[in-house]
Amino acid sequence: MRRTPVTLTLAAILSAHAAADPGTDFFENKVRPLLAQRCSECHSAEKKVKGGLRLDSREAWIKGGDTGPAITPGQPEASLLIEAVRYANRDLQMPPKQKLPGGEIAILEQWIAMGAPDPRSDDAPKTKQRGLSLEEGRKFWCYQPLHKADPPNVQHADWPLTAIDRFLLARMEKDGIQAAPDATLPVLARRLSFALTGLPPSPEQVDTLLTDTQTQGRNNALSKMVDELLASPHFGETWGSHWLDIARFAESSGGGRTLLFKDAWRYRDYVRESFNSGLPIHQFIREQIAGDLLPHKDTDEQRRHLIATGFLALGPTNYEEQYKQQLRFDIIDEQIDTLGRSLLGQTLGCARCHDHKFDPVPQHDYYALAGIFASTRTLHNYTDNVARWITHPLPAAPEDEPALQAHEQHIASLQSELKAAQTALAKASKNVAEASSSPGRPIAPSELPGIVLDDQDAKVVGQWKHSTHVRSYVGKGYLTDDNKEKGACTITFTPQIPKTARYDLRLAYAHAQGRANNVRINILHADGEDTVFIDQSGPPPIDGRFVSLGKFRFEKDGAGYVLISNADTKGYVTVDALQLIEEDAPPSPALATTTGAPSKNPASKTPQPPKEKDSPERARVKSVEAEIKNLTTKGPKRDTAMIVREDDAIADTQIRVRGIERQRGPSVPRGFLQVALAGPAPALPAKQSGRLELAEWLVSSDNPLTARVLVNRVWFWLFGAGIVRTVDNFGTTGELPTHPELLDHLALQFIQEGWNLKTLVREIVLSRAWQLSVQPPSKQDPENHLFARANRRRLNAEEIRDAILHASGRIDLAQGGPNIAGAGDIDANTSSAQNIEYAYQFTDLRRSFYTPAFRNKRLEAFEVFDFANINQPVGQRNVSTVAPQALYLLNSPFVRDQARAAAQRTMALAASDPERIDAAYMRILGRQPSERERTLCTQYLATNDPGIEGWTQIHQMLFASIDFRYLD
Amino acid sequence: MNPAFPSRRRALQSLGCGFGYLALAGLASQQNARAASAANPLAPRAPHHKPRAKRIIFLFMQGGVSHVDSFDYKPALLEQDGRMLDFNDLRSIAKDGKSPQQRVMKPLWNFAQHGRSGMWGSDLFPEICKHMDDLCLIRSMHTEGIAHGPATLFLHTGSTNFIRPSMGSWLSYGLGSENENLPAFVSLSPSLGNGGPRNYGNAFLPAVYQGTAIGRPGVPAKDATIGNLRNPGSPEEARRQFALLQDLNAEQLRSKPGESELEAVINSYELAWRMQGAAPATLDIDSESPETRALYGIGEKTTDNFGRQCLLARRLCESGVRFVQVNYSDNSNNPAWDQHSNIKKHGDHAAAVDKPIAGLLADLKQRGLLEDTIVWWGGEFGRTPYAEKNGTGRDHNPAGFSLWVAGGGFKPGHVHGETDEFGHHAVTDKVHMHDLHATLLHALGLDHEKLTYRYAGRDFRLTDVHGHVVHELFS
Repeated sequence: MRRTPVTLTLAAILSAHAAADPGTDFFENKVRPLLAQRCSECHSAEKKVKGGLRLDSREAWIKGGDTGPAITPGQPEASLLIEAVRYANRDLQMPPKQKLPGGEIAILEQWIAMGAPDPRSDDAPKTKQRGLSLEEGRKFWCYQPLHKADPPNVQHADWPLTAIDRFLLARMEKDGIQAAPDATLPVLARRLSFALTGLPPSPEQVDTLLTDTQTQGRNNALSKMVDELLASPHFGETWGSHWLDIARFAESSGGGRTLLFKDAWRYRDYVRESFNSGLPIHQFIREQIAGDLLPHKDTDEQRRHLIATGFLALGPTNYEEQYKQQLRFDIIDEQIDTLGRSLLGQTLGCARCHDHKFDPVPQHDYYALAGIFASTRTLHNYTDNVARWITHPLPAAPEDEPALQAHEQHIASLQSELKAAQTALAKASKNVAEASSSPGRPIAPSELPGIVLDDQDAKVVGQWKHSTHVRSYVGKGYLTDDNKEKGACTITFTPQIPKTARYDLRLAYAHAQGRANNVRINILHADGEDTVFIDQSGPPPIDGRFVSLGKFRFEKDGAGYVLISNADTKGYVTVDALQLIEEDAPPSPALATTTGAPSKNPASKTPQPPKEKDSPERARVKSVEAEIKNLTTKGPKRDTAMIVREDDAIADTQIRVRGIERQRGPSVPRGFLQVALAGPAPALPAKQSGRLELAEWLVSSDNPLTARVLVNRVWFWLFGAGIVRTVDNFGTTGELPTHPELLDHLALQFIQEGWNLKTLVREIVLSRAWQLSVQPPSKQDPENHLFARANRRRLNAEEIRDAILHASGRIDLAQGGPNIAGAGDIDANTSSAQNIEYAYQFTDLRRSFYTPAFRNKRLEAFEVFDFANINQPVGQRNVSTVAPQALYLLNSPFVRDQARAAAQRTMALAASDPERIDAAYMRILGRQPSERERTLCTQYLATNDPGIEGWTQIHQMLFASIDFRYLD
Repeated sequence: MNPAFPSRRRALQSLGCGFGYLALAGLASQQNARAASAANPLAPRAPHHKPRAKRIIFLFMQGGVSHVDSFDYKPALLEQDGRMLDFNDLRSIAKDGKSPQQRVMKPLWNFAQHGRSGMWGSDLFPEICKHMDDLCLIRSMHTEGIAHGPATLFLHTGSTNFIRPSMGSWLSYGLGSENENLPAFVSLSPSLGNGGPRNYGNAFLPAVYQGTAIGRPGVPAKDATIGNLRNPGSPEEARRQFALLQDLNAEQLRSKPGESELEAVINSYELAWRMQGAAPATLDIDSESPETRALYGIGEKTTDNFGRQCLLARRLCESGVRFVQVNYSDNSNNPAWDQHSNIKKHGDHAAAVDKPIAGLLADLKQRGLLEDTIVWWGGEFGRTPYAEKNGTGRDHNPAGFSLWVAGGGFKPGHVHGETDEFGHHAVTDKVHMHDLHATLLHALGLDHEKLTYRYAGRDFRLTDVHGHVVHELFS
């Protein structure tokens, strides 16, 4: 090891001084070289200080690292250092590459037992403060209260139409920049229509704007068009899709084992309806954070409130994470990150492991928020092998509720009836079994229906004894563990499955006195692994031989097994045979035999005479089962939603050191971001999570972030650039606002006008600044920070697809509702649910807003054209220009098919080539062709097929053209 | 061409010519498009230091190959077969903190020493074992994630749960592409499950660094291709239609001069047109000699599919693709090698991949490509040395497993690290998956601590705050 001369000298002096002290001697001779060789690379001021731990002085190791003191002098067993070098804990093993030799571990143990004498003193510089302190942070612009400023005076007083224009123009005048000319009406018609509804204007809409301008003037005509577009039901779809991006909306979990979110569409509809109906945005936020805790005036509102909380549940959760505390924590982390970015413009995730390195967000605040979400329940339970979200029954409309409840009660009573019938059947079977347990009752596997595996076909592990004592066995006898070697004996059946189906799985056992009542059985089936316990202390309920283990799906030739273990059992465990009966198999005479009482003539395979029909008890069970099935499939169904709710335990949570779930630090009271609190920290209720208070704080006047962030997003969605360009990051690593007064003006006005989205949108699009023309970049302001011209905007993935479908006339404008066939009533954690996603064919022609949003399988056009990454909140999508986009427009069957349909439409509309060319341009590009364009198309038709083929090709190339892909 | 020093001519050529990326790195955010320098984000970039290798072929054995049945020879398993012993079973501990006793299960395949190096390998992979002297075997791997999803994501992205770019995306970002008509990062037949597209996703990196999937599980490799490469019309029709588009676009651009973004769109059509002509030839393995095809087992029922993928991987590498992942995988929740029961089925999977992999190694070697190509073989974790309760299968084991790398400057015929006497936990010279990532990046000339990307207010890297380069693996 390299040491500085100073340290060397110091060490020499110290060791000389302490020569007489045996402790120090031991340290110098044994411990110091060991630490130098094994530890100092990562734990010394000279090299690295990993995990905050230095081992180069007594002060340093007493203070310890992120996990606390490394050494407790005199107590090796209590010292983390010893735990680490012993490699006992997989999360804390040092040195990381290789365990120390036993002798060296002994040296460290001995040294600590001696009281850990260490003469080295701390001469390293103290670690510096990270990030901004809270006081410094409060001075940063985004954490300051909203500041009211009047629109400034401008020199060209006749230019501004609105207050927005005055703010913008004042800055342009200050910088000596001239605003661009106004855009033409056809350009504005297309710009407005896409901005507010995501669809191109119809030729009629463009005409109306032109005529209205002549009769009412330009501003009135535009204002009228804006009002019509805002009232369109498509407003909620387009603006809803903006929100879904930042809500990282998806209809499956993605991640590891992707699970289908069958109810996610209700959240999508909630968002759409909220935007269409003009729900105030602060209420929209409250509902998504704490809808379940809000009062509601009627069932309809209650449903909306519950559905809204799906916002917190829709993340890309790895439900199969085996360490369930880790899973809970991952979900909390995702919720905080999403909340921070979408509503607060903060990168809160940075404070998970340590105080934020740049922003005034201490780790404390992160865990204050984490406590709120830790007291919130997002998972159905915390024990499932593959966990699940909460699927919550929704109240029905008051007029439907009584019928629905009656239906549910009917089913519930049938279910208790079924239980009673099953008990009666078991009792009857017991009698039969007892009656039939006399010698001579064995049955051959070949006499039984379904797939039968005798114990001889099973893999046997441990000492099992063959027996024929209880005579009602299958095959040549059965196996018993003889009540010995508990935990060491298993029997595994591995059936060959001839056909993919659900099977009723039945196990035969030999009943007698002293049997175990908790035999553990593991079943690996096509949809995962399950564990069931059976009670062998009573007689087998089915035919006195079998007990049903439940119904499971197995795939043809797929992996699957049934494992019976004698672990943790008291009493004898017996295993006789396994039977699989295909569910819904056509009833066969043989089936009637097994489902009935044991046959008196097991050799008979011929159709059973009438006397062999079901016993009254079995007939009763079957009829009740059938009735339940009939009612559940045909009767009314209760709607369900993906929600979060309050957890059973409400508690503060502990800091996780370095973000590692298992490394718990001190507990932190639940709360919000301190830097963005104007007053004292609000007290949170002891018996509620604090989500309601969080929701109120998010939209309160004490919080300067939410309104600013939202107004800036709206501005970004309309202008293509925010006043703060980093729309998801208002922190110190983000950009500063170009027009801070304007941002605050808009935010205050937004609040004052009741957080009304449509009012804000209207205000912006009717400003003169929004209606400017696109111009080439100016030298003074190449990035258009001053909004002195319009930004050319590329159509996004959904707009391209919708506009193509619109031009072809094939678009299906149906609104709302689910859009994944087969997802309605399916168990998400099954291969069949996953196969809906994996094998999905995107063939519907509905607006892209409704296109199934699978995390592991996207619509090709979405992948190609930079649809947002739906695994994380995205305020601003990537924009790329890549060849696959060109290939898609040139070659994809979808574009070709739609071009053909559009061509047919055009050809039907007009008879002459020039008229058709005009019509095609008007429909696809929203304008007339130039002379040169007309000539190009005419020439093309002259040298190619002048019929449908040629017209299809022209339409397709218009879809591929620049003017289609961009909005001026 | 040395990617470190692209000539001016090369730089101009590649301007606007990476895989479909047409100029304008700064287009990533529209509002600063005007300020963006017209540079191609996929142009070859200078590495941080002199690289040992130029490219990687990753043979992903999805589901987790049993190391104790293949490359990690543990006599103790034979001696103690069937005994109930204490093991720290990670799954049980994750669930309830307890670990019941487990039954030792011996390997089902016989081990022998191979080659001059005398490295141990079992007859599960007889053909690969013939190349033992070319392999650098790491027997002390350990990783994160007990279930497939988390562990598979960790293998590809360095995180079990966060949304992070995959390793191939980091490489494309760090080094760019050497071919203007092909992607820098290709994944052959990737699974839709267990992470799915996230395993080759760019996450927050620009979309241009995303992996391109060719084919998918269940679709025969011979039918796999890049999407939309074929025009439905005749070549002549396609040419005329394309000419019309260029004319229409030129006319539209005339009224908007000096718009580099729009020019990039026009260039993208030209590039697409060239790709349409050139890429199918690269993807067409029928042009290979019968001897070469036979070497990979193409034409034989068991090996045809994976053989085609391996041969395509070689062809893509020759064409300048940086990172080719060859997936032996499927979409199920118990993918391919996941033998919780009936470990014998490992034999079927080995039969499907053994000859193609050996063929790939031999072929790369005879072409001199192995020198600067890393072949990386492995799964997301290994398997337990003890049986599942059914007595016939093994559970997942992220605490200790084996994988190998070959070529690209790694020590041939070398064994690194050890697991404990049963092969359960790595104990000597442990190599964490973060370390492997750091080491592979290092081999390609990238410093894993310097290869960062600023996103959401901070710098991210493949290895988070972890990872050490394992220099001992390099020759």
